[in-house]
Amino acid sequence: MQPLGLSIGVWVNALLTLCILSFLYKDNPFFRFAESLFAGMSLGYYIGIVTVQTLQPNLIRPLGETFFGNHNYLLLIPMALGIMLYFRYIPRISWLSRIALAVYIGYYVGVLMMQKIHGQVIPQTRDTIMPVTTGGIDALWNLVVIIGVFSVLVYFYFSVEHKGVVGKVSRVGIWFLMISFGASFGYTIMARISLLMGRFSFLVNNWIRPMFGS
Amino acid sequence: MNLKKLLYIDRRIIYLVVAIGALIPIIRPIGLPVEPTDPVIGLFDKLESLSPGDAVIISYDYGPSSEPELNPMSSAILRHCFHREIKVLIMAVFPLGGVNMAIREVERITSEFEDLEYGVDYVNLGYKDGGQAAMKALAVSIRDVFPADVDGNDISAMPIINEIRNYDDVEVVISLATGIIGEWWADLVNAQFSVPVAVGCTAVSAPKYYAFLRSGQMIAVLGGLKGASEYEELLRRNFVWARKVYSDPAEMKLAATTGMDVQAIVHVIIIVFIIFGNIMYFATGKEKGR
Amino acid sequence: MRRTIPLVLTFVVGMYPIFAFFVPHASISGVNQWLDRALMIVAAFALPLGVVNLVGMNLTKIKQKREGWPYAIVLLAGLVVMAYFGVIGVITRQHTGFHPTFQMLFDNMVSPLQATMFSLLAFYVASAAYRAFRARNVEATILLVAAIIVMLGRIPFGDMLTGGRMTPLSEWIMNRPNAAAQRGIIIGAALGAASMSIRVILGIERTYLGKSRD
Repeated sequence: MQPLGLSIGVWVNALLTLCILSFLYKDNPFFRFAESLFAGMSLGYYIGIVTVQTLQPNLIRPLGETFFGNHNYLLLIPMALGIMLYFRYIPRISWLSRIALAVYIGYYVGVLMMQKIHGQVIPQTRDTIMPVTTGGIDALWNLVVIIGVFSVLVYFYFSVEHKGVVGKVSRVGIWFLMISFGASFGYTIMARISLLMGRFSFLVNNWIRPMFGS
Repeated sequence: MNLKKLLYIDRRIIYLVVAIGALIPIIRPIGLPVEPTDPVIGLFDKLESLSPGDAVIISYDYGPSSEPELNPMSSAILRHCFHREIKVLIMAVFPLGGVNMAIREVERITSEFEDLEYGVDYVNLGYKDGGQAAMKALAVSIRDVFPADVDGNDISAMPIINEIRNYDDVEVVISLATGIIGEWWADLVNAQFSVPVAVGCTAVSAPKYYAFLRSGQMIAVLGGLKGASEYEELLRRNFVWARKVYSDPAEMKLAATTGMDVQAIVHVIIIVFIIFGNIMYFATGKEKGR
Repeated sequence: MRRTIPLVLTFVVGMYPIFAFFVPHASISGVNQWLDRALMIVAAFALPLGVVNLVGMNLTKIKQKREGWPYAIVLLAGLVVMAYFGVIGVITRQHTGFHPTFQMLFDNMVSPLQATMFSLLAFYVASAAYRAFRARNVEATILLVAAIIVMLGRIPFGDMLTGGRMTPLSEWIMNRPNAAAQRGIIIGAALGAASMSIRVILGIERTYLGKSRD
């Protein structure tokens, strides 16, 4: 079962890669087949990892092995909430899914709130308050950062009209944003080329070359 | 030749030029030089400052869509850790593929080390749902979050878990991340539990992470394939074993250093496209809306 | 009532992580830690929530033989096969970790499909660079120049052309103006996200509970 000395896995891998790349020429049935397969398998994959990696070790096994020990019976609460999320598809009791959703959303917005204020706003602001009177080149670069942060924040402040001084400062903010977007564009190109390189490298080194014994 | 025709050339010709530019260095690697930068040296120095027996967490927070950038990083960092006899806890919080990337990588790299003992020197804890919930819970007890390893084996009998109970026993968390998860390690775990965090990220995220690097919330940022190639270069410069590993032709097919050849060629092509496109644009009189 | 209970729950569960952050007493953090572990399980149930919708939609498509219905079969087949090998080990108790076929399907199908899908973007950014990246005005020119410097700074040719000056210049852009602009965006977006969290916790923002008024 090894055509041309390669495993079926490599062939499937290579052919699916080509199916997707064929879209570059134009939309075609091979691409649409691979695209649908990708969507379906990704969802199936979620079911697999959730079951094997979280539900089995953190819920099924503790409940099955020691129901009362270590207060494992309390796991019935998150289990019930998790199942209740699916009640949204049963019209008669769909309102019950809101209870589970409320706990789920409530918890994550609470955590997010601390993440954003304590983990982003405070440390990022603190690090922007830097010395600018020490002289030397570092003080100048510190000033660049301070002006950049301030002007970008002014640009994003839409409660006042961007005219006069505010308009001028926000214009500086746009320039800083443009530098950053330019940098992001450069980095994005790099990321995308890396992916292309990965696929081409597979096709050349794992598929074509071994086929010809090199 | 009509300049306007050149400006609105069939996109497939552009695709073809990019494809050829990417293929040539894969078929015939060039071996261009790489110079390490400070954001990458930060992680290298941190791992060098650790003593044998110290522990790190490596979180595989990426899927196949970032594999070519982050796999070489993972390989280089794992090798560095194992050579320095640093204990490694491997985990994943990225749902689409993180855990399976980790399985592949750990299997490949650990096979290079004869003396490594699973459950003593390293453990693959697998994937956990919940994102921030799991990250917060690790601060209390790793064992409670991961009662079993990736293969479902009970971890309570493993010596590594008895030594490393929570973040207090971890010297640095290294997140190999795509998307927002690298950020969570900084704004949640570093901010609330003071664990040093280093992030190896896909190049798309790198510009944002420089802000976290400046504020000290990340001790290092390895941005994309370039970051990975710089780490490989640091290993090569400092260790004989690394010079051996990164001269093996089979390994070099997977190494970031080789990938940088492709980057260099395609970057030049794209820069030429930009400059040429602009020359055409101005030469044809700045047509509106195109 | 069906709306009030969820709103109260969102408030209580949302406030708890914030409260526990400021009052790190053992009795309070104990509940908070339980909440963290419980939410891991709720999140595991939430991840495949979209599967039900997608299966329903695709089954209808097949039944009504709508355009592209054979691709719906491909999608469902991919989902079923992947999910089957994901959960079969847990159900039969033959495997505690992943079924070997699950990892094989991931390596040879899910992985190349996802990687290639994203690698298409390399071609699109190249095409966009040629067709849309124009120095139309000051802002666009700043963006363009920053992008070219950063791109040259990431490849050896940049340093070769400029006698080693391109990498330091690119790092300066990333560390100063780029970091400043990104910091402005981070602080602005974090304040926005935090205020949205407060709106959700206080029940001002309720769209996540759905439209019905019962």
